[in-house]
Amino acid sequence: MSDVPVRRESEAAEIAALLDRVQRGDREAFMTIIRRYQQKVFVMAYSILRDREDALDAVQETFLRLYQKAGLYRPGRPFQGWLLQIAKNISIDSYRRRRRTKLDHETSRPIEEIPIAVEDRAGDSAASDLRSAFSRSVETLAERQRMVFVMRHYNELPFNEISETMRISVGTAKSLHFKAVQNLRKRLAPVLGMQP
Amino acid sequence: MKHDEVDFFLKETEAVRAEIRAAADAVDWDALPGIIADRAQAGAPKTGRVPWAARLWEGLAPLRMRPVLAGLLGGLLIGAGAMYFILKAPAGRAGADGAYYASGEFLDRAELEMARRNTLDYLERSQYMLLDVFESADEGPVVPASLRTERARDLLQKKKYLNAQLERLQMAKAKALCDQIEALFLELSQMDDDLAAAELGKIRGYVEERQLLLKINLVKKELQSGV
Repeated sequence: MSDVPVRRESEAAEIAALLDRVQRGDREAFMTIIRRYQQKVFVMAYSILRDREDALDAVQETFLRLYQKAGLYRPGRPFQGWLLQIAKNISIDSYRRRRRTKLDHETSRPIEEIPIAVEDRAGDSAASDLRSAFSRSVETLAERQRMVFVMRHYNELPFNEISETMRISVGTAKSLHFKAVQNLRKRLAPVLGMQP
Repeated sequence: MKHDEVDFFLKETEAVRAEIRAAADAVDWDALPGIIADRAQAGAPKTGRVPWAARLWEGLAPLRMRPVLAGLLGGLLIGAGAMYFILKAPAGRAGADGAYYASGEFLDRAELEMARRNTLDYLERSQYMLLDVFESADEGPVVPASLRTERARDLLQKKKYLNAQLERLQMAKAKALCDQIEALFLELSQMDDDLAAAELGKIRGYVEERQLLLKINLVKKELQSGV
């Protein structure tokens, strides 16, 4: 018989105890939680933001929010899913804000200063073109499809954890992932010379 | 999905994962928990974040693209401001020129003053009336009987309005005196024109006996000293 449920229960009890201490202002308990989850939160934030500094800001923001709202955690709920959900929301907010700022910036620039084509990368290689086309295609996916795709492939989360983080069923997560891949195929078909 | 497509996706997602790993490697994970804990315990504002005013402006950003909504919001704000000033203004003006507003204490004092003046006036007229009665009793009618009756009725009428003030303001001494005089005026108002000098003599005797003229003088002085 598997000991996974037992381990999960003891982890949940440990997290509940740590959060209880955090609520009472225990610095060491708070730092223990940060040490344990900071890299997972970073990966989530970076996957969405694709910028190291922005991702680090999102990590700090996520744990600060955890510190303020530790009392809102319900012990029955998977803690990692809850924390990644906070990280995801903060990262998406930051992403939207950054995109809006970028748009405002672009529209306020004189037309001669706006690049007509995508910036050339070093070497201007075909591989670099493909990579930027892929990144752009992922960015243009519908938000829920993009989130599922990012969590599945960049964060390498299993579907059950994706469903916990996004508060959707596993079936919906799988369906969103399928649609995301289909849309990526369509968008990348001209670049890759594939049949859409 | 074809084999080359799968290949492509695997290659690209692996490239992104490598990028994430490279970014993560450059982070000082040992120092970060301390930095975050310091900020949490200091209640520090969010670094690298937009301040609240800018966030509010960002929240209102869609309105910049929607003039109708922006106009509606502006109208609501102007309307609310105008209502505030309209509703607030009357109280301010009343207080400024004093035309509408007076404190309860001021009103009480004014009423007492009015009662005192009215009582003085009443006692003075009563005094003249009684002196007329005295003279008439001695030397025969100095004023026509009809005029005397009219004056008596006038004073009775005045006393009726004075009663409420005297009772409310607890001017007991003045009221007792005015009541005694009132009884005399009631008789005078009912006398016939051909009233005999003897009848006036009786009234004079009543006034003297009760020292009504003296009492009138004393009460008048009291009232005058209070003015």
